Amino acid sequence: MIRDITIGQYYPGKSLLHKVDPRMKLILTFAIIIVIFLCKNFFSLGVIAVTAVVASALSKVPAKMILKSLKPIVIILIFTAILNVFYTQGGATWFEWKFIKITEKGVFTAIFTMVRIISLVLISSLLTYTTTPTMLTDALERVLSPLKVFKIKVHTLAMMMTLALRFIPTLIEEIDRIMNAQKARGADLETGGLIERAKALVPIFVPLMVSSFRRAYELAFAMTCRCYTGGEGRTRMKQMKLSLLDFFALFACIAITAGIIVLNHFFTAVI
Amino acid sequence: MNYAIETIGLTHYYSKGTPHQVAAISDVNLRINKGELVGIIGHTGSGKSTLISHFNGLLKPDSGKVLVDGVDIHKDKETLRNTRFKVGLCFQYPEYQLFEETVYKDIAFGPKNMKLSDAEIKERVIRAADFVGVKREHLNQSPFDLSGGEKRRVAIAGVMSMEPEILIFDEPAAGLDPKGRKDLIKLIADYRKQTGSTVIVVSHSMEDIASMADRVVVVNDSSIAMQGTVDEVYSRGEELRAMGLNVPEITEIFAKLRAKGFDVPANVYTVDQGAEIIRSLSKGRCAE
Ligand SMILES: Nc1ncnc2c1ncn2[C@@H]1O[C@H](COP(=O)(O)OP(=O)(O)OP(=O)(O)O)[C@@H](O)[C@H]1O
Ligand SMILES: [Mg+2]
Repeated sequence: MIRDITIGQYYPGKSLLHKVDPRMKLILTFAIIIVIFLCKNFFSLGVIAVTAVVASALSKVPAKMILKSLKPIVIILIFTAILNVFYTQGGATWFEWKFIKITEKGVFTAIFTMVRIISLVLISSLLTYTTTPTMLTDALERVLSPLKVFKIKVHTLAMMMTLALRFIPTLIEEIDRIMNAQKARGADLETGGLIERAKALVPIFVPLMVSSFRRAYELAFAMTCRCYTGGEGRTRMKQMKLSLLDFFALFACIAITAGIIVLNHFFTAVI
Repeated sequence: MNYAIETIGLTHYYSKGTPHQVAAISDVNLRINKGELVGIIGHTGSGKSTLISHFNGLLKPDSGKVLVDGVDIHKDKETLRNTRFKVGLCFQYPEYQLFEETVYKDIAFGPKNMKLSDAEIKERVIRAADFVGVKREHLNQSPFDLSGGEKRRVAIAGVMSMEPEILIFDEPAAGLDPKGRKDLIKLIADYRKQTGSTVIVVSHSMEDIASMADRVVVVNDSSIAMQGTVDEVYSRGEELRAMGLNVPEITEIFAKLRAKGFDVPANVYTVDQGAEIIRSLSKGRCAE
């Protein structure tokens, strides 16, 4: 159901990855992404690629869905590969024709970059596959809460994000409903030129705006009525607690990072 | 003669191919005669709205067919588009679809999409507005300045102005006060009488349905559980209760009266009917 999916791509499950504390997941994903950029040769990058594959398997998200997350970047992948092959020169020449020259270094760099981008996307989408958006914002709020010292209203920001996320499915449903109602009155949304199509959006956009404002007011009233005054002194229903699993995940990431630094040191760099 | 609407093995899934997949309706075979007023009842989530959204082609069946006047509505694009005008669909809370600057323009939106002449559009708008009881002086106001009940009337006029052969209402009286409710039910019944169109009304209120429908269709768990005249369906109280539906309170009161030995009919479904019977009974007693 559209209502349950909410935004992003959360895949409901009970795998090990789902169980890791969201804060830990957030920080570790961030750390691994930095580490990906530290990789200098195929051995260290191989460790990352293996990590990405193993983590994907651990998440128990179907391979089909995981591959789907790669679909939007196919163009970027092809584009970077072509650029690298033609513009990076060095090492043995493998192919030469007029002004086109493909060299060993060019091909290696292209493969290297592709693997790097794929791992990057895989690992970051695993975070959103295994964590609900609400948990993610909740985690973000807590991870960023030290910023309070700089008078940044972390709680307000997180609340805004949570509310926005909460209302995206509602809005989608609403758009769906209004579109159906106008289609039932013969509104034609599919044909016509650019201007006609833009005009055809008015019957959908106006009611959507009207109801969004109404909703915003209602929500503000409802929150006020329940004595919402902001972040100060609020306690939480869902407590996050670090478990043994989280420390295991932390340890695994430290091991991976250490391995990569060592491998970087012992083998020659590709880039 | 063809049926106004006929469905054959109609099945529809939501979120097909995901873990959330649900069959909102499955294998529904339904026939609706021309000129009939059919009430559709069923508890929340039973698939009523999904069913009626197939009747004008808003939803495409995953399997099965919808025939309007004997023609498969998904035959080609042209047929589908014409079906939208032939089968008017008035959604739940239709007042949230208003968008134009004036009430007049909003009611004219449907007829305009039908590419009618300006004179014809004007005639239809006035006719529909008069019929639902929108005041003439409101026609040039913004629809957003009206009260909730007035907005509802405008929205209904917006569908009626297309003068469809088949008119479908999803929960037309939801959220109205008892008087508004009664007025609206009367309006729908009058509309059928005046135009002779086929009318389908989805409602939670067994009493509303009893007061106007020729035939009742009960939807339960995404398929049709019963259908028949009001008497036929409402006399099966136990089965209805098992589906989470209740026969009207007045019917229960009369059943209790019968149990106490009073000679009253069992097929009383609206308060008006009940009041009438009680009145005639007490008159009879006075005459004795
Ligand atoms: N857009 C949608 N996406 C996914 N599932 C949906 C969608 N719309 C409805 N459903 C599901 O399909 C089933 C039937 O819904 P439907 O709206 O047809 O019920 P209904 O009988 O009209 O209920 P109500 O009386 O509450 O209006 C429900 O289980 C509902 O949750
Ligand atoms: Mg419904």
